[in-house]
Amino acid sequence: MELHNVLDFPILSLSIFLPTLGALIIWLFVRGDNAVRWASLIVAVATFLVTLPLVLQFDSTTSHMQFEEFHHWIPAFNVNYQLGVDGISMPFIVLTSLLTVICIISAWSCIQSRVKEYMIAFLVLETTLIGVFSALDAILFYFFWEAMLIPMYLIIGIWGGKNRVYATIKFFLYTLAGSLLMLIAVLAMYFKAGHTFSLLAFMDYPFDFTWQFWIWIAFFIAFAVKVPMWPVHTWLPDAHTEAPTAGSVILAGILLKMGAYGFLRFSLPMLPDASQYFVPLMVGLSLVAIVYISLVAMMQTDMKRLIAYSSIAHMGFVTLGTFMFTQAALEGAVIGMISHGFVAAALFLCVGVMYDRLHTREIGDYGGVVNVMPVFAAVMLFFCMANIALPGASAFVGEIMVLIGTFEAAPAHLGVSAMWIAVAAATSVILSACYTLWMYKRVVMGDLVKDSVKTMKDMSFREFGYFVPLMILTLWIGFYPLPVLDLLHVSVSHLIDQVSTSKLDAAAALLQAMPAAEAAHH
Amino acid sequence: MANVTFPFPFPDHLITLLPEMIVAVLAMTLLLVDLFISKENKIWTAYMAVITIVVAAIATIQLYPVGSIEAFYGFFVFDPFAAFSKLLLFAATAISILISIDYMKDENHVGEYYVLMLFAMLGMMLMISATNFIILYLGMELMALCTYVLVGYQREVLRSNEAALKYFILGALSSGMLLYGITFLYGVSGSFDYSDVGAALHATGNASDPAVLLGLVFLLAGLAFKVSMAPFHMWTPDAYEGAPTPITAFMSVAPKVAGFVVIVRVAVDALPAMQTEYMTILTGMAILTMAIGNLAAIAQRNIKRMLAYSTVGHVGFVVLGVIAGNADGYAGILVYLSIYMVMTLGIFAIIILMRREGIQGELLDDFAGLSKVRPGYALAMGLFLFSLGGIPFLAGFWAKYAVFIAAIEAGHVYLVLYALLFSAVGAFYYIRVVKYIYFDEARVTFEFTESRVMQATVAITAVAIVALGLYPDPLMDACKAAVVGLI
Repeated sequence: MELHNVLDFPILSLSIFLPTLGALIIWLFVRGDNAVRWASLIVAVATFLVTLPLVLQFDSTTSHMQFEEFHHWIPAFNVNYQLGVDGISMPFIVLTSLLTVICIISAWSCIQSRVKEYMIAFLVLETTLIGVFSALDAILFYFFWEAMLIPMYLIIGIWGGKNRVYATIKFFLYTLAGSLLMLIAVLAMYFKAGHTFSLLAFMDYPFDFTWQFWIWIAFFIAFAVKVPMWPVHTWLPDAHTEAPTAGSVILAGILLKMGAYGFLRFSLPMLPDASQYFVPLMVGLSLVAIVYISLVAMMQTDMKRLIAYSSIAHMGFVTLGTFMFTQAALEGAVIGMISHGFVAAALFLCVGVMYDRLHTREIGDYGGVVNVMPVFAAVMLFFCMANIALPGASAFVGEIMVLIGTFEAAPAHLGVSAMWIAVAAATSVILSACYTLWMYKRVVMGDLVKDSVKTMKDMSFREFGYFVPLMILTLWIGFYPLPVLDLLHVSVSHLIDQVSTSKLDAAAALLQAMPAAEAAHH
Repeated sequence: MANVTFPFPFPDHLITLLPEMIVAVLAMTLLLVDLFISKENKIWTAYMAVITIVVAAIATIQLYPVGSIEAFYGFFVFDPFAAFSKLLLFAATAISILISIDYMKDENHVGEYYVLMLFAMLGMMLMISATNFIILYLGMELMALCTYVLVGYQREVLRSNEAALKYFILGALSSGMLLYGITFLYGVSGSFDYSDVGAALHATGNASDPAVLLGLVFLLAGLAFKVSMAPFHMWTPDAYEGAPTPITAFMSVAPKVAGFVVIVRVAVDALPAMQTEYMTILTGMAILTMAIGNLAAIAQRNIKRMLAYSTVGHVGFVVLGVIAGNADGYAGILVYLSIYMVMTLGIFAIIILMRREGIQGELLDDFAGLSKVRPGYALAMGLFLFSLGGIPFLAGFWAKYAVFIAAIEAGHVYLVLYALLFSAVGAFYYIRVVKYIYFDEARVTFEFTESRVMQATVAITAVAIVALGLYPDPLMDACKAAVVGLI
């Protein structure tokens, strides 16, 4: 094992495998539902604490990978266990470990059957998620990316709602079909780039345009399914609606980010020319997601479905920012993802709180909740406002930066001026206000008429507890995003360098050199 | 030549046949000894059969370092490729025998059952080491005749009889086709030796000779039948469903190993001059096999039939390794077959455990709610199914990876894309079984057979699937080493 890091300690491996190790111990030795809950919480908190040094010891002055680990895994195919993080991936690891803690607390009383299996599934899921964000070897990345399907399939299928089987099989097959294409792209790059799976080597290797074009498409399908982008988004509303609350939280908070992270880690730096080429496609699909999906969201009668559609719309903002290739837009996209991790997670938790009481997610079954649950109403209002990206909330920082970046971008080959793209994207601010506030009005405001709603009790201390960190983080990034931006800054500008440096010249040079080298060889 | 010494005089070149001789002699002895074992103690016959296999395996391991030696003027070869495949075969047969014991207790428990399995294994050992078409035919017939009997072993069960009859008729037809193909090749080259046929075809350079083409087509048809490659797979679901479950397990693994070794050897030694035609036919069959296996599996309600079609689908993936035609491809075949063997035997062990007192426990519905009744078996079953679907951290992923990467290396990108499409389809019916196990409520309550041997088999195979999934390197290295010198 080779370590190249400031701590001289395999901290990424520990963060990845601590949850699984904990799950193993819980499986073998812990008996009784309450003991399992506490044990899982301890494991999750411990993992969160282990990931904290990643932030504290992070060197934000370099775009190089940090906390690196290297170990041969399958020398026969040059597959290595290579880990490392930069400013783009590190925040997601911490976000994952934080949201896992919140998920485990939120499941405390609403998961009553098969508690042990549930907690084990969540901890294993955490392993795969942290693995995805720290892998620097394409096969290792794929390994974690796919392994994630197993716990998620079980979480939705076992503890989900009425239509859970349909939803989880749809989720599984969509994701699997998408990622198999990624596998073939990775294998193609392996042979092209000289028998290596290292992501860093892929970033350096000059692929010519034809290769970039096809590999980009394969990656695009894999990542677009995961983000999800219109028109391959249809699994998400089903999966979100049927998943248990914590499942929705982790789905919205982390899983969706894997797709966007894929664009940032693979498509942009490895295939810069294809990425430039496909900007119109990405912008088009992102705008469809923002405008059309927002309209779809407005018409939903199921709260979880509504938030699911709102997630797709917000992810449209992220993909838009990703493909503007300006500092502000890219940083805005990453902030947008992190912020969406807090806000969407919190909104799903809000629905979960109500669902635990009335066991319905229909908007029409509620009304006047504020009269019986004032504290809850305030919390939900807070996160609804954050979802609209009100100034002061983290989402505002992300969206405004994406919009500024879009104005700056003015990609000449788009045919439309950047301003019109920004204008179209900005409609999201109005539309998200429409559907979010309208839902809030119908659910929380109004007179107390329904008998069932009258019986609802306000939030318990535990329930309130898991909203607090999310509120603090939303406000903190909303008012003072500088520390997070500092973490991102160097890595993002390095990424912009990569995506704006064409690989075609080098590829042509390589092609020139090849016959010469072969001639010399013979 | 060999660093193995014997306490008695032993002809040098016969040493290559040592494992075969051990199995032949001990199996015949066992047949006699079995006469003196009472009906209640037939379990000892089973254990002795396993010991026979263990002895043969030890001999094979001892011989492993000698490298590649031929015997009988090139009729028969012992090389690392053969040794590795035989070890796979031994493992498959030994586990099949062990999982038979409890199954057979409820049946007409006779010792011939185990002896027939040994002879079937012997036939496959000959197939693996054959470098001559006649030896190949002999080995294949020995295997086939034993398996016909084993499939129809439950004489009083109608579907077992039906299965055996179908299998026999189609099997006889395919043997005829194989033989017919061999005669054409003999007519062209004047020899039954793989290498002589190869040399003759190479010398004439007349690959488009209709006689050669006919020979090739018939030969491949016969071989395709044995490994259940479409369109010669029709017998598979019926035979799998009707056969006693341990025999289904045995048949879904062992003949596939032997069959693929033959397909590779014929491609490398006998028909290198016909490479293009050989690969074209195989590619066509692979395309058909992947589609038929994976699509037909979706419609099955009986898990044995489903696994039969799933075998067909997996065979379609393994063929990619042959089509790749490089060392990585051949190593990939061995990786695939090794991992496939572990998963399949594990699944069948669980299916056998579910059968008790008249209830077969073979329908998918029977698995409903298994996770609440027996969480341990449910977990193992889940692992096997996800692994068969090729989802990582489980070994099945590396099996697919090994053959796909070889096929891409050889430039068959579209074929791999196609294979990936069908592995997604395959994942669907595997995770549907997981759905029954984990998401549904139990409908039938099962009394599980409590058997230490079976539980150990399930546990070991499940652990192996996870361990190989996390660290496949030793297996991949061993397979790579086994194909050195093949090309």
